[in-house]
Amino acid sequence: MLTVGIAIVAGVALVALLAPVLAPYDPRALAGPSLASPSARHLLGTNDAGQDILSQLIWGARSSTIVAGLAASLAVAIGAFVGAAAGLARGAVDVVAMRITDVALALPALPLMILVVALAGPSRTTVILVIALAGWPSIARVVRSQALTVGRRGYVQAARGFGAGPLYLIRRHLLPSVGPLVTANFVYWAATAVVLQAGLAFLGLSDPTEISWGAVLNRALEHQGVYLTSQWTWWVLPPGLAITLAAVGLAFIGYGLEPRSNPRWERT
Amino acid sequence: MRMRARSGLLASYALVVLVLVTLNFFLPRALPGRPIETLSDPRSQTYVGDATTRTALQRYYGLDRPLLEQYGRYMADLSAGDLGTSIRRHAPVARVLGERIGWTLLLVGTAVALGTALGMIAGVRSGWRRGRRSDRRLLALLLAFDNLPSYFLASAFAYVFAVRLGWFPLYGARTPFSESYAPARAIADVAHHLALPAAVLALQLVTFQYLVMRASMVGELGSDHLLLGRAKGMSEHVLKYRYAARNALLPAVTVATLHIPLALTAAIFVETVFAYPGIGRLLFESVGDRDYPLMQGCFLVLSLLVVSANLLADLLYRRLDPRTAA
Repeated sequence: MLTVGIAIVAGVALVALLAPVLAPYDPRALAGPSLASPSARHLLGTNDAGQDILSQLIWGARSSTIVAGLAASLAVAIGAFVGAAAGLARGAVDVVAMRITDVALALPALPLMILVVALAGPSRTTVILVIALAGWPSIARVVRSQALTVGRRGYVQAARGFGAGPLYLIRRHLLPSVGPLVTANFVYWAATAVVLQAGLAFLGLSDPTEISWGAVLNRALEHQGVYLTSQWTWWVLPPGLAITLAAVGLAFIGYGLEPRSNPRWERT
Repeated sequence: MRMRARSGLLASYALVVLVLVTLNFFLPRALPGRPIETLSDPRSQTYVGDATTRTALQRYYGLDRPLLEQYGRYMADLSAGDLGTSIRRHAPVARVLGERIGWTLLLVGTAVALGTALGMIAGVRSGWRRGRRSDRRLLALLLAFDNLPSYFLASAFAYVFAVRLGWFPLYGARTPFSESYAPARAIADVAHHLALPAAVLALQLVTFQYLVMRASMVGELGSDHLLLGRAKGMSEHVLKYRYAARNALLPAVTVATLHIPLALTAAIFVETVFAYPGIGRLLFESVGDRDYPLMQGCFLVLSLLVVSANLLADLLYRRLDPRTAA
């Protein structure tokens, strides 16, 4: 499962990297007649503006990869920092940090994202930020509980007794023990980010100049006749499958990592 | 002890509601887009050139008052049920929301019931035959299904079942001009329109329910009373449903309440695809229209529904499992 997942994700990342080479047309340019059916010249046809859909999908891989990578990294960075700080400092810091985390965790993520992106304007940075802000609380919780257990272990107490400082403890003992957890959360939030970014774009909340899978879906479904002819099969199905494939690939990596990141897993 | 635990729970939910309501007030005033400030920004599209009109508008929205006073007025209006006026629809936001909320509740209620039932049945079957081929196939299938984005699944269902096969209507909650239908026909019409969006939403919930039910069922497999039942020569059917599934039900029931917040969020996408006239579709429309008061109203109602559903799940869980109340 892990290998299949890695293969899929590596494939998507490779397409994202080689987009300028792979894409047969400029995704923004008028490349042919409007609403052309698939042909040798346009493998997935063209949209209502005469842009080549395949080229848009290839460039869309780049947008998804960037957003997923940055949003998940940011979520993990904030979550790990808050969790580690709360778990190691204990006391008042812990209480306050966890109170904030709990409230953030209880806020309904998607409606809040839609409101913020609609108000602040749908730039790529805004989208990355709102996804990261939705992701950090659950990561902070997991990392904190791990930090608390690690802090009580004998070898950590011993290290402390020998005068180890907090930075040394984090580097030597906390990081290795939360590493698998953080990796699993990173993968989960990367998958969520792909689906969320496309979902927001599908609702019309994306930078109009950005080429992304969700934006292709949005344009297709806004088009009146998309269901009436077989346009659906080359204009809606491929971007939908691309989003699903990327999400499934990441989820497979997540399932594959689970035995390593979740000790309870072995029992069932 | 129990009383104290419950009041603590209620207090933390009250805090969440307060944060939500406050965010709803401050976000439009703090974010760079600042919809109401664009009124007085000569570079923006919504700039009001006429100074008298501009001051009148600012006074109307209370923007000439100090921030804290604006906040106080917002809270007072809110507690009186006044959510402002929709810019596009020229009607009170509260009334527009009132007309739509019923459809969302109907859709989400149906989907949660359907998803829970399907997930439980699949979980019992899969758990009972753990590790066999049928179990592994169902597990793989449902895990794959779980990763289909709801907007894509909805569009695929619309294309296959409404357009190609023509079994269900493509959009809407009822046939236009169907007000004159007899009650029985009107109900059938509503159910016919409900089928596809509810099915998509239910499929979004099935996997979670299935996994919990399956794990719970697997936990029952080795128990003594099953062994005894088998020794007495009871039928597989009775053992499976009356003995194992019945005991495995408890965790699965508490999970069912967690579906409500999930379904409410996914409903934003599903209602949008099917043009189903609920709050989710209204949120989409208000974003497209840049109708900020309406957008905020939708946000508030959806968020409060999600938070109440979470509270309900928490209370129920404590009821069923006293250990968590400590």
